[in-house]
Amino acid sequence: MNKFKVTFYPDNKSVEVIKDTTILSAAISCQVFINSACGGDGVCGKCKVIVKKGSVVTVPTGALTPEEKKKHVYLACLTTIHSDLEVDIPPESKMEIDAGLKDIYANSEEVESEEVVSSDKIFKHSPLSTKLYLELPKPDLNDSLSDLDRLYRAINKAQGLPRTTESHGAKPVVRGLPPIQTSMANIRQLGELLRDSDWKVTATLGKRNNSIEIILVEPGDTSAKNFGFSFDIGTTTISGQLVNLNNNQVLGTKAAYNKQASFGSDVITRIIYAKEEEGLEKLHNAVSETINHMIKELASEYNVDLNDVTCIVCTGNTTMIHLLLRIDPTYIRREPYVPTANFIPVLRATEAEININPRGLLYCVPGVSSYVGGDTTSGVLSSALYKEKDLSILIDIGTNGEIALGNQDFIVASAASAGPAFEGSGVVCGMRASSGAIQKVKINHKDLSVSYDTIGNVKPRGICGSGYISLISEMLSAGVIDKSGKIKLENNKRLRTTDTGREFIAAFKEESDSTRDVVITEADIENLKRAKAAIYSATAILIKHIDFKISDVKKIFIAGGFGTSLDIESAIKIGLLPDLERKRFSFIGNSALAGAREILLSSQAVKEAENIARKITYFELSTDSGYMDEYMAALFFPHTDLLRFPSLKI
Amino acid sequence: MAVQLMQEMWQGEISTVTIGAVKEEGGSRAYSIKIGGEQSLPCLFKEGAIPNKPEIAFEIWDIAPNDWPSELSKEYGHALNDPFLWAEKCVKEYKARSLCVRLQGAHPDSGDKGPGEEAAFIRQLLDKVNVPLIILGTGDDTKDNLLLPACSEAAKGERCLIGSAVQDNYKTIAVSLLADGHNIIAESPIDINIAKQLNILISDMGLPLERIVINPTIGALGYGLEYAYSIMERARLAALSGDKTVASPFVCFVGQEAWRAKEAKVEDSRQGVMWEVLTATALIQAGADLLVMRHPLAIEKVNKYIDKLCS
Repeated sequence: MNKFKVTFYPDNKSVEVIKDTTILSAAISCQVFINSACGGDGVCGKCKVIVKKGSVVTVPTGALTPEEKKKHVYLACLTTIHSDLEVDIPPESKMEIDAGLKDIYANSEEVESEEVVSSDKIFKHSPLSTKLYLELPKPDLNDSLSDLDRLYRAINKAQGLPRTTESHGAKPVVRGLPPIQTSMANIRQLGELLRDSDWKVTATLGKRNNSIEIILVEPGDTSAKNFGFSFDIGTTTISGQLVNLNNNQVLGTKAAYNKQASFGSDVITRIIYAKEEEGLEKLHNAVSETINHMIKELASEYNVDLNDVTCIVCTGNTTMIHLLLRIDPTYIRREPYVPTANFIPVLRATEAEININPRGLLYCVPGVSSYVGGDTTSGVLSSALYKEKDLSILIDIGTNGEIALGNQDFIVASAASAGPAFEGSGVVCGMRASSGAIQKVKINHKDLSVSYDTIGNVKPRGICGSGYISLISEMLSAGVIDKSGKIKLENNKRLRTTDTGREFIAAFKEESDSTRDVVITEADIENLKRAKAAIYSATAILIKHIDFKISDVKKIFIAGGFGTSLDIESAIKIGLLPDLERKRFSFIGNSALAGAREILLSSQAVKEAENIARKITYFELSTDSGYMDEYMAALFFPHTDLLRFPSLKI
Repeated sequence: MAVQLMQEMWQGEISTVTIGAVKEEGGSRAYSIKIGGEQSLPCLFKEGAIPNKPEIAFEIWDIAPNDWPSELSKEYGHALNDPFLWAEKCVKEYKARSLCVRLQGAHPDSGDKGPGEEAAFIRQLLDKVNVPLIILGTGDDTKDNLLLPACSEAAKGERCLIGSAVQDNYKTIAVSLLADGHNIIAESPIDINIAKQLNILISDMGLPLERIVINPTIGALGYGLEYAYSIMERARLAALSGDKTVASPFVCFVGQEAWRAKEAKVEDSRQGVMWEVLTATALIQAGADLLVMRHPLAIEKVNKYIDKLCS
């Protein structure tokens, strides 16, 4: 087999690949991220590269001009490698998020997270897996139960369950109790293990699909060390939490960009990419690598041995869960939009190539439909919307914005494709809600000086979602931009025109922790405007669909990875949220992650989540004739129909 | 038993825009025209006041048009080569109540005349004819931002209607028209949302909503007329229901669209005239307040139609 070496400049990264590999695949395999909005279909023309040396084979495309062809510009996705190559990646083909902050893929970062768990809903502590220290009575001639039955007996006794005397088979059943099961691997080593440890062992028990599984038997007492992870797998951002399963304590929370982003920024392009040769594997590997990396980092920071991590709960939209489990997501995209599975049984984490204890469990929060996934279920769970008497709404602001509307009697949900702007992606100086992110802004109306708060009170590195909301709202008040989002200011030191358009400087590089000014461009504002319009219009249509008025909604839960603060006033001012009495709003942070943690920590929450997933009715926005009109009308600050925002007095 | 007619009562009202200033108002027009002011849908005289009839402006150019079909251009003959003669012909011979001059000669592709030259032309034109004047730029944003402020200043005090301001280019135009006391044409691409947004943006610049005329962009008969009609109808319904941001009169460039239709280009036939008439009458029913037309015969017929409709 022919192998060729491909070197990418200016990164100066090399990789060996076999003949006929596309340049795009080669780039991805050595962590060089090239823009590829269409996911490698040769349609978007964003992955232009210059081949400096070597021979390639390409297919004709209309995305290149004759001048570009003369300069050896090729589309990376359509061009295959036929010799050793040197490839130059022009700046415009570098992934935008990569251009903004170089280390974005390198590491996950500690994030600020604020979660409000409603006080009337505390689930009984019964985590997905528990550790039980047992001192077994030694067998003698009078008590000659087999080793396994002896273990079962001790477990039942320790849990206050009636004693089972059945001595045959591996699954003694007591009426009304979940059956206990274990695997051959455990049984084979049991005899020696019990005797070597002087009958003092720790059994890790997992709740697995209505039965209890002895996941692991270890010598001695390790019961003090039992940890789990909860993860929210977003299209753009993956957040994870390390939790002490014995006392419910959250040790640390981290977020990282989903590495799948290099295969397309939205779920549809990723579903298309999954059909490529080894596409599904690559997507799966990207997400499991991101998760494993975060697990490793969190575990080592808190001195947790990965063997003591016995379970993990993942939530996310349906496509993300499919890709995590390496299930072909193709049919999510095809009419009639049916996912392969909404309810996934409890699995072993290794089946999804997640590295915790090799026998540890993985549970995925059940989803509702192709476009409303487990993240909505866990959001509804943690916001307790399903217990509200009054009409309430949960708005989860992410790349796939999810909106759930209802109360204790019914819930309808929709998904609005908002794009990654509020997660700090696809905007020039965007970043996650982590240290150094501008999260709140004030602009002086007279001299246009800008003051801001950053997360961690350090020098600014970029702007996070809540920062953008606050910044745009302030720019509107100070007259920096007009209501369509165009910069109307002239001749100011904070205003600059570059090749890509006009931009406003929020923090000069002298005051920032970056080699360049922290700016917001007109194109950023346009992106954010579209994102907010998608969320607002989906909210408005969903409420209209069930024949209610916006003013009928009594409680509004706002969720999203915004860090510790989201200024509701600013969010209303830019038209992201409806203009309702401010006290009806509550910001609940990353509700999907909070829900996943509750599920991790209580089997009651698991039951509740399953009930919620069955109860939610999915409403498809694209079939609603009014959606496009609503969306177009929302492409304005705050809205084309100013009468909907009476409190703003504009 | 007498049938009780259902009558809609509207809470909104279309603003009234006055074009042209007479001597007492600081201008030099013989009279001014008023458009808008409706309190009901078109032709529903019993549901609310319709104080002003639709007006028609004759379209003239600063240079001789080279793409007008012969059926249209032969009507004006050699007057097309002299804008002043052309204007006088419209006013004296065809009794034009207002004129709409298109500064095509300033377009970078068709002469690229300078703002100073065009401003002087506008001043001369205002001195030669005394009817209210509508001034149209080239449609080229960069050029219009130089051209229209100059013309606005030259016509200061005459309360012209000047355009077009579009969503990506409205600030410079709005600022100069505000200063010189003119009205503005806000043009949107057959899109009610953009029409509203542009009105809001312009009024945010300080130019009151009462001085904005919406150009909703239209298509001629067979070229999207129904689409234009429905957008105008929706805008009017919203305005009459109380949405002030869209309660502006409509100006429709009927001549420009009708004479682009291939059916209008048939030689030695009145088909083009009929195309212009039919487009105009349909749009009057949709709520058009000011029609900019080209053929004198078409204008005559539409004027008769208006008189019958409103009597």
